[in-house]
Amino acid sequence: MVLAGLVSPSGAVSDVAGHWNVLLFFVGLTGAAAVAERSGLFEALAGTAARLSAGSPRRLLAAVVAAGAVVAALLSNDAAALVLTPVVYVLVARFGLAPLPYVLACTFVADAASIALPVSNPVNVIVSDRLGVSAASLVPVLLPAAAASVLALFGCLFVIYRQQLSARAPLVPAASSWDAWTGVPRPLLTAFGVAVAAFAVASALDVPLGPTMAAVWLLLLGVEWTSRRPERPLDGVGWSLLVFVASMGILVDGLSSAGITAWLAQLVLGQVRDSPAAVMIVTAFAAAVGSNLVNNLPAAFVFADAVHSAGLSAASAHAAAIGTIIGADLGPNLTPVGSVATLLWFVLLRQRGLQVSTWSYIRIGLIVTPVTILAALGVALLLGVPR
Amino acid sequence: MSAPRRFLVALAGTEDAALPEAVVRVVGAGAEVEVALLHVAETGARELAAYDPLLRRGPWPLPKKAEIEHRLTEADDEGAAALLASWHEKFALALPGTKITHEVAQGRPEEQIIAAAQRLNADAVILCARPRTGPAEPGPRSVGHVARFVVDHSPVPVLLVRSSRTVP
Repeated sequence: MVLAGLVSPSGAVSDVAGHWNVLLFFVGLTGAAAVAERSGLFEALAGTAARLSAGSPRRLLAAVVAAGAVVAALLSNDAAALVLTPVVYVLVARFGLAPLPYVLACTFVADAASIALPVSNPVNVIVSDRLGVSAASLVPVLLPAAAASVLALFGCLFVIYRQQLSARAPLVPAASSWDAWTGVPRPLLTAFGVAVAAFAVASALDVPLGPTMAAVWLLLLGVEWTSRRPERPLDGVGWSLLVFVASMGILVDGLSSAGITAWLAQLVLGQVRDSPAAVMIVTAFAAAVGSNLVNNLPAAFVFADAVHSAGLSAASAHAAAIGTIIGADLGPNLTPVGSVATLLWFVLLRQRGLQVSTWSYIRIGLIVTPVTILAALGVALLLGVPR
Repeated sequence: MSAPRRFLVALAGTEDAALPEAVVRVVGAGAEVEVALLHVAETGARELAAYDPLLRRGPWPLPKKAEIEHRLTEADDEGAAALLASWHEKFALALPGTKITHEVAQGRPEEQIIAAAQRLNADAVILCARPRTGPAEPGPRSVGHVARFVVDHSPVPVLLVRSSRTVP
């Protein structure tokens, strides 16, 4: 963009600086998730899910979905998908159960629950930051919408896998393998509680989320340091995300100078801009489609900028933020053909000669994605549109 | 034609606890037979758990792939060993004095069952059909795709054991 003359070098610097809030947020979030992983919090949560299941596959699925939803809501969708999935896999194997339904549950609930809070998905911060909508003002709408989409996901998996879930687990793991809470340092557990409360208060007061998240990370890192010194405390911090966000900022600025985002805004919002309900529906579906054409982060960047350039009224901008978040968070699982990244994933697996049950993955995505989007959108329309 | 002597029992995860009794009913109590228990670990879920991060999750810091794969493989092996041990116990009780061996395979269950039947020179394959859903009528959906594939492709007779459970 700089070389093509669409963005000046000084403009590029200010693009990156203009995203300071999102950048700080990413550093803090990835850092906090890494502290949580090192502390054994995920194993402890999964162990509790196992105990609650009492050997019933249905209850185990419900508990996995609930644990995944909590992790995704508090520590972001990617932390849930990346860190919790292998932990759940190990747990399910101990019960002698086929892991596919539970692994899929983790993957999908990570996204289904990620509309809940500003911290639940990087997309949420990008969108509210770009549209100038207070992130906290979205919570009363998006939290119930997240609950609806998680329940809808559970319903889908429950029906699809009803046969596998009907028999009792063939093995009963030793109870000692479930209770992992003793391994999590107490002070760190307290610090997580304090961090969640502090974050809730700060976002209710509309303190920018970036500095808050960075402060939360430093707090957790400090407490971790006092209870047991990690060998590499900075492992797991998403420095590559910084490069990514910075380059997205420059890219979107370039697209905007070329008039592409304004064209996109006209295309999507041309007829509906004055009705918040219509704006919410249209942005949700457009963002879902966009997320399947590229990846959801770039789609959210470009899309938020397009909506921003449309100069909507406050009510419509609020509805657009909700719609975009729902579409960009829940949409990407729809089709591996649409999403370049997922397509590459399958190509990679084939090259390695692995027999992945491709169809079972696509099939579930095709069912789950529209159902969760409709469930979330229905609740958001009820709660988020002034009447 | 002599009665089958070497049985391959395929365990795909949805077995009824009454499977050993069903085998005794066919074989006859006190018959001299060999039983090979086959556990097939489906690799799809493991690939999903280990590789989903790679490309779908964008520029998020990735956990160490080899480490995760190692953890998952270890869990699979542990689970398979525990499952086979628990079935071994049940079969040993139902068919005292029978030689019972263990086989572990990875991949699609239907293909692995056929391959194991050939490899082990089995005289018959025994597996559980999935439990019935809805009205118990014969028809195209009365057995699952694994059982159907095995019935179609097995080089030796197949005994399908229907679970007494039904799924509403």
